[in-house]
Amino acid sequence: MLLEVDGLSTAYQGLLAIQGVSLGVAEGEIVVVAGANGAGKSTLLKSIAGLERPCDGAVRFDGARLDGLPGHRITARGVAYVPENKRLFPRLSVADNLRLGSYLHRSKADREAPLERVFALFPRLKERLPQRAGTLSGGEQQMLAIGRALMTRPRLLMLDEPSQGIMPKLVDEIFSAVTVIRDAGVTVLLVEQRLAESLAIADRAYVLQTGRVILSGPAAQVRDDPEVRRAYLGI
Amino acid sequence: MTMQALVQVLASGLLTGLIYGLVAVGLSLIFGLMDVVNFAHGEFLMLAMYATFGLVFVSGLDPIVLMPLVAALMFVLGGTIYFGVVRFAMRAKANQGMVQIFATFGLAILLQGVAQYLFTPDYRSLQGSWLGGKTLDLGGVYLPWPQVFGALVSLAAFGGLFLLMTRTDFGRALEATREDQGAVALVGIDRNRIFALGWGLGAALVGLAGAVLTVFYYIHPGVGGAFALIAYVTVALGGFGSVFGALAAGLIVGLVEAATAVVLPPSMKSVGVYALYLLVVLVRPQGLFGRL
Repeated sequence: MLLEVDGLSTAYQGLLAIQGVSLGVAEGEIVVVAGANGAGKSTLLKSIAGLERPCDGAVRFDGARLDGLPGHRITARGVAYVPENKRLFPRLSVADNLRLGSYLHRSKADREAPLERVFALFPRLKERLPQRAGTLSGGEQQMLAIGRALMTRPRLLMLDEPSQGIMPKLVDEIFSAVTVIRDAGVTVLLVEQRLAESLAIADRAYVLQTGRVILSGPAAQVRDDPEVRRAYLGI
Repeated sequence: MTMQALVQVLASGLLTGLIYGLVAVGLSLIFGLMDVVNFAHGEFLMLAMYATFGLVFVSGLDPIVLMPLVAALMFVLGGTIYFGVVRFAMRAKANQGMVQIFATFGLAILLQGVAQYLFTPDYRSLQGSWLGGKTLDLGGVYLPWPQVFGALVSLAAFGGLFLLMTRTDFGRALEATREDQGAVALVGIDRNRIFALGWGLGAALVGLAGAVLTVFYYIHPGVGGAFALIAYVTVALGGFGSVFGALAAGLIVGLVEAATAVVLPPSMKSVGVYALYLLVVLVRPQGLFGRL
């Protein structure tokens, strides 16, 4: 497994947001973590990315421990995280945001190498380069956030609700971009509420409920689970 | 008032203003970066002046030659103060703002006390810089060379700062940290490193000002106070956190001060500056170029 999460628990002021969560992501997979609002999906990603400190459990990436490392070192190890609220630098230009993405590789001659791929993925970013990131539409901001994350040259890309707050037409574009990113060799861990769309592109899925994994398996199997169909797919 | 006298007032106001801008810019830079007001800013200036004095004493070189070394020492001091004091103050769980104020304020008192102890409260002045006492005669307008030199150093420093902030990865990382210090980890930037470099840079800039001032100003443990007060006015006027606001506001403060000295007795030359400050606070509390 490229990423192994083992019995991870994270608490906010004594309240456990996730408890004993274990999951694995193999190299080249798209894995989706589904669940309702407040199920602990975002906390899980933040705890892996080093933005929240877990109180118990372990995170291993490529065999080495990640938990306890500060966020910037986790990014440097090859784990990129696109949070739900994107956390772009809104007063900086699109170009500067992308350039900051390659900060870790600033001394390399081919520093901007992933840029071509980012533009192929999201051509409209190229048209917006001089614009301030804060002036982009919701969908464009999502594209920029993913683009910035790709500039860090991740082996694992973690996306938190990439479909949130963007128009339906762009949602498809984002989801198909995720498969292209995976096909280019980047492993993807995706957190989503839009279960149908994400199960369609995922290899495997985990379902979180009130901080615990209640179901996991191949995407097709999770999709056919009667409880999932009733609770999340509305069928 | 003759034309020549008017030009004289304008010119000295501009020269002083550029030096005020250089004194203040580090304060604004650090505030903009991390919302911490460094109440020991004046003491940084005082230390830089003593450092220059000491280095001149030891090496026999001209303070102008030693300026880069003083800036480098102050850079190290600024970074050390961040790692040794400010970082811990920022970790306070409650009342963080107060903790930061008292931490830097306490540092100011400590540094002044140490300076009193080590250097005695005596006023000292540096003799023997080859700029000392020389004046530049521009068709009847006389400008003291030390001030002219200080103004040129200030312009060069602001030019360098502009290039650093707009053309380099460090500058972009600094801007990004200003925007969202929690998000820079997502691109692999260690915000503590940027904060420390910001403190180093802020201290180095006030260090340059200190080195320049030793050529024409008395050195004593309380020297920071007078300049710090003007620096706070300058930063508030230019807009807290705005680096180039500090330059513009420094020029305004210098000009207003020079103009006040013409109208009022010289001992009251600061009245105009503080009156202007009061006006700005009332009419435009975010300062001229600030964003609140």
